[in-house]
Amino acid sequence: MAVTTDRAALNEWVACGWPEKIAPGGGYRTVLLGQEIEVHRIAANSFEAFERNDRGELGRKLPVQIKYCCIFTTLGEPTRPLPKIPEFEEPDRRITACGSVGVHTSPFRIIENFLDMAHFSFVHTDILGAPERTEVLAYKTEHRKDVDEIWAVDCQFYQPAASKASKGGQMTHYAYRVMSPFSVMLYKNVFDDPARNDAICLFVQPVGETECLAHMPLALIDRESALTSIVDFQQTIFAQDRVILENQRPALLPLDPTIELPTRADASSIAFRRWLKAKNFQFGVYEKKAA
Amino acid sequence: MAERPDRWIGVALDRQIKPGSSNPAIVGGYAIAVWRPETGPANVWEDRCPHRGMRLSFGFVRDGRLRCIYHGWGYEPGGHCAFIPAHPDLAPPKTICANVYPSEERYGIVWTNLCETPNAHLPDVGDDQGWQSIRSVYVKRPIAAVKGGVASFDWGGGRAEEIEDGVAFVRSDTAGLSLLIAIQPVDESKTGLHVVAKGDGAKDAKGRLAWATRLERLRDAIEAQS
Repeated sequence: MAVTTDRAALNEWVACGWPEKIAPGGGYRTVLLGQEIEVHRIAANSFEAFERNDRGELGRKLPVQIKYCCIFTTLGEPTRPLPKIPEFEEPDRRITACGSVGVHTSPFRIIENFLDMAHFSFVHTDILGAPERTEVLAYKTEHRKDVDEIWAVDCQFYQPAASKASKGGQMTHYAYRVMSPFSVMLYKNVFDDPARNDAICLFVQPVGETECLAHMPLALIDRESALTSIVDFQQTIFAQDRVILENQRPALLPLDPTIELPTRADASSIAFRRWLKAKNFQFGVYEKKAA
Repeated sequence: MAERPDRWIGVALDRQIKPGSSNPAIVGGYAIAVWRPETGPANVWEDRCPHRGMRLSFGFVRDGRLRCIYHGWGYEPGGHCAFIPAHPDLAPPKTICANVYPSEERYGIVWTNLCETPNAHLPDVGDDQGWQSIRSVYVKRPIAAVKGGVASFDWGGGRAEEIEDGVAFVRSDTAGLSLLIAIQPVDESKTGLHVVAKGDGAKDAKGRLAWATRLERLRDAIEAQS
């Protein structure tokens, strides 16, 4: 696998693992944008990452940040800091590392699926959507230029079982937030309390253009559910999505709106694709070959 | 991917495409969905929903429409999208249409032609009535090797004659039947054979089963060649 030459992709911070999964003194290898890297935990709170070449030699040292339960690094020169997610600092939240799932598709297909409400009734039937309540009501999308993030707000959808803590159906209110081309999160109101929300992150590690690891840290308002049942819930949802994600053609994301035809419910996807196009992203993007 | 020549290619036996089902197949490297409403003929489409690229062979059939498994968009047999569940009151624009290939059922075989300007006529071996399905087999060899194997195989004393590109016909007086063999290029390394028969020798199930077993021997013989 060749390392990408796309500066736009190289200059992003990317999640590449869980600090809690490595014992002090330990380490692991993984791949980022086609580049193999090695991550070491040299002490309880100290991590290092290096590029690793075909002969197994460690090369350039990479910057590392530990945030939101994840290890972040970059192969380039990031033009912005990691996003601010204050919910992870709130003392009454359950901060949960929901594990990583490998998915064979473009990182952007994964982000789009996360932003999408219209599939709930079909892919997450009787959990996140009901077969007889499929309508996606109008919502707003925004490009917040000060932080260069895409937001979708005033979203709502009827859900039979919105989370592990749910005891019945509810109209769930959502806000979606794309913090970078490889990271996205959502806020959804908790069961029976419109004032508080769960914060669910999806940090996509692009291994290659059509191979990813999806890391899911959560900051939940849920004192009751067992950790394993929260993780099971998220992994069940993600397993249902994975069947879809690995069967979209092409796997790379088309940015040309004539290749895949959107409807109103796809406003967030439309905004996301425009944003990627404006950034001149090449990595993970489908280019129609000349006839 | 291969070019798309102007010819009819057998992609399945009729009976394999159950009413109310959508099924995947590959022809010359192109992924297709072969689906049938609750009643009516089979349809052959590109295996891709025009909305977000999901394979339509994963779809489900309701009320005569093929529904995409991802967002439930409902397509009429002509390809037009007639229903978008996210906006139940919206009449979808006419521009939303699946990529439809010509399809015909004849002699118990579903045929399609992927050429962009199809003009070829369907294979013609006479009356459509009375054909019985034998079976489909898939051979892990390119189409040229499989054609060679079909031509040299002993079909109950008869010989296979290629009457069209990818369509072979056998007449065996000893076995008391005729066989029609549709040869489907799947990709560079795999080829499908869809076989139907007509005549006294194909009338009872036991006889047809013997021919199905014989097709497995043909497959094994072709795959045994290096």
